[in-house]
Amino acid sequence: MIQSHGVQSSGRKAIVSLEGITKHFGEVTAIERLDMQIMAGEFITFLGPSGCGKSTTLRILGGFERPDRGRVIVDGQDVTRLPPNKRDVNMVFQDYALFPHMTVAQNIAFGLELKGKTRAEIDKRLGELLDFLHLEGFGGRTPDQLSGGQRQRVALARALAPDPKLLLLDEPLGALDAKLRGQVQVELKDIQKRTGKTFFFVTHDQEEALTMSDRIVVMNAGRVEQDGTPEDLYFRPRSRFVAEFIGETNLIQGTVAGRDDSAIVIDWNGLKVLGAPGEGGVPAAGAAVTAALRLESVQCHAERPAGANAIPGRVVHRLFKGSRTALDIRVGEREDAVLKAYMDATDAARIAQENLWVSWDASRLAVLRD
Amino acid sequence: MTRHTRILMSVIYWAFIVYLFVPLVLMVTMGFKDSKFIGFPIRGWTLEWYASVFQDTQVLGVFAYSMTIALATTALSLAIGTWIACFLGPHKFRGKLIVFAITCLPAVIPGIISAISLRIFARLIELEPGMLAIILGHTVHNVPFVALVVMARLATLPKSHVEAARDLGADAIVAFFRITLPYLMPALIGAGIFCMLLSFDDFVRAFFLGGYEPTLPVLIFAKLRSGMSPEINAISTVVLLLTAVLGLWAERSMRRLNKGA
Repeated sequence: MIQSHGVQSSGRKAIVSLEGITKHFGEVTAIERLDMQIMAGEFITFLGPSGCGKSTTLRILGGFERPDRGRVIVDGQDVTRLPPNKRDVNMVFQDYALFPHMTVAQNIAFGLELKGKTRAEIDKRLGELLDFLHLEGFGGRTPDQLSGGQRQRVALARALAPDPKLLLLDEPLGALDAKLRGQVQVELKDIQKRTGKTFFFVTHDQEEALTMSDRIVVMNAGRVEQDGTPEDLYFRPRSRFVAEFIGETNLIQGTVAGRDDSAIVIDWNGLKVLGAPGEGGVPAAGAAVTAALRLESVQCHAERPAGANAIPGRVVHRLFKGSRTALDIRVGEREDAVLKAYMDATDAARIAQENLWVSWDASRLAVLRD
Repeated sequence: MTRHTRILMSVIYWAFIVYLFVPLVLMVTMGFKDSKFIGFPIRGWTLEWYASVFQDTQVLGVFAYSMTIALATTALSLAIGTWIACFLGPHKFRGKLIVFAITCLPAVIPGIISAISLRIFARLIELEPGMLAIILGHTVHNVPFVALVVMARLATLPKSHVEAARDLGADAIVAFFRITLPYLMPALIGAGIFCMLLSFDDFVRAFFLGGYEPTLPVLIFAKLRSGMSPEINAISTVVLLLTAVLGLWAERSMRRLNKGA
C-alpha cells in the first residue's frame, strides 16, 4: 500500500482515487495493484522508463483502457466502466492529435459543442482560452500552419475548454526541441497554477518531472517505487532504482556499524560514515546496506574541518565543466572507493592540492530500501 | 545509366505514347469528317455529327440512364466499401485474411463469369433485368476497390485523433462522422470517381443484367452492328472529354485535400 505523504497533509481533498488497479496485456503485467489518491489542484507526475505502467495508468484514467481489477473514482463517482466521452477528464495527447481538417478555433470548440453549449458561450470561452494561451489571431489557422509550440498550446486549450476535473498530459513536450522544452515547462507550470486545475503528467524525463511537479510518482515494472515531492525523491530516494533514475548519484555499499543520535553509522571499507535512515527504519547492526549521496552534497575542504565527520581523500580526476568542476575523489585505501563531487569552479581552484577532506550533512546520505 | 540506354528508354517511352494516343486522335478526327464512311482520305470537315448527337433524344436518354446507374452505384459502393474498410481495418480477429480475400474476389473475377452468375442469381430472386439489377451488379464489382482505397487511407489515420474526439465527448458515431469521415475524404473522392468510371464504362454486366433500355456502351455496340458511322465517334469523343475532365478534377481535389492532412 502506498501512502501519499506531505501533499495530503496540506488539507486538499482527493479528486481522483485509484483503488487496487491491476492491468495485464497478455502475459505482461502493466500495472500491479496500484492504490493512489490524486489531490485537487496538484501537479502530479508519473515518471518512469518506457513500459513501467505510467502510460497505462493515464489511459485508464482517460477511459481508453479498462483495468482488469480495481476501481477508478473521479470526484466521488465510480467511472471505471465509463467510456472517455462520459468522463470529466480531458487529455493532451503526445502527438497533440489536433484535427487537421478543422481550424484552431474549431478544434478548441469541439468539446464545447458536444457539451451542448450555445454559440455565445462557446465564443466567449474560445476568446478567453486564445487570450490565456497567447493564441490571439490564430483562431482561423489550421494546425499545419502552426509551430510545434503553438500546436502544443492549442492542444492544451482544447483539453482545458470543457473545464475538466482532471487534465491528463501524455509526454506533451516530447515533440518539442530542447530549447523550447525548457520554456514550455515554465509555461505549463504557470498555466497549472493560474487555472488551479489538477494536472496528471506522464514523462520519462526526470528533469521535466523535477521542474514542474508538486508530487512525483516513480514507477518501475508496474509498481510504484516512490511517491513524494521532487525534493524527497532527489535527496531521499527510497530505492536504488529511484536514486539512479533521477540525477547523478554516488552509491555507497557498506554494513551498519551502529547509531549516532538519529543518524546511522555505516562502515564503508573501514571508513565510518554517517547517513540518514529511510522509511523502513534503522536496519540491524551488521546488515549490508546501500546508500545514495548526491554529487553536490559532497563538501570538500583543504583542511580537516572542525567538528564535522570528515574523511580524507585524494583527487584522481578533476574535470572543468564551466559552471562547476567535477571531482573524482578516492577515499580510503581501496581502488574502487571513489566519490564523485561537484564543486563551484572558484572553490575548486582554491583547493589546488591532491589531498583533501570530504564531508557531508548526514541527512543527505540516504540509506536505501533492500 | 549510359547515354545509349537513356536514348533507348526514351525511344521506347515515346513509342508507347504514340501507340496510346494515335487511335484516340484518329477516333476524334473521324468525328469531324464530312462523310458517312470512316477512313482516309478526308475531303471535308463538319460539326454535323455532333449536332445530330445532341439532338438525338435516344442518345441523350441513354446517357442520362447510364449516369443515373453510375451515380447510384457509386453511392452504394462508397457506403458498403467504407463500412467494410472500417470493419476490417482496425480490428484483429481470426480469419481476417479470409474475409479480406473474399472481399477482394469480385474485383478479380472475369467480367463475363461475374455477369452470367449475376444474371442467374437475379432470375433466382426474381429481380427484373433493368436498372436495379445493373446497379447491384456494378456495386458488387466496385466495392473491393473502395474498400482497398479507404483501408489504405484509414491505416494512416493516427489512433489518437479518434481518441481525442472521444475524450472531448464524442460517442463512437459522432467521432466517425466528424473525424474519421473527413479524414477519409480524399480516398472517398478518388474511389468515387473510379466507381463512376467503372460503372459508366461497363459493357458486359450491363448487357447481361439490362432490360430493354440499353446503357451507353450497349447502345454504342448496337449502333456499331448496324454500321460504323462518325456519329459513334462523336459520342465517344464527348464521353472521352467528360471522363478526362472528371479524372483530372478528382486528381486535383485529392491532392489539395491530402495536403491539408
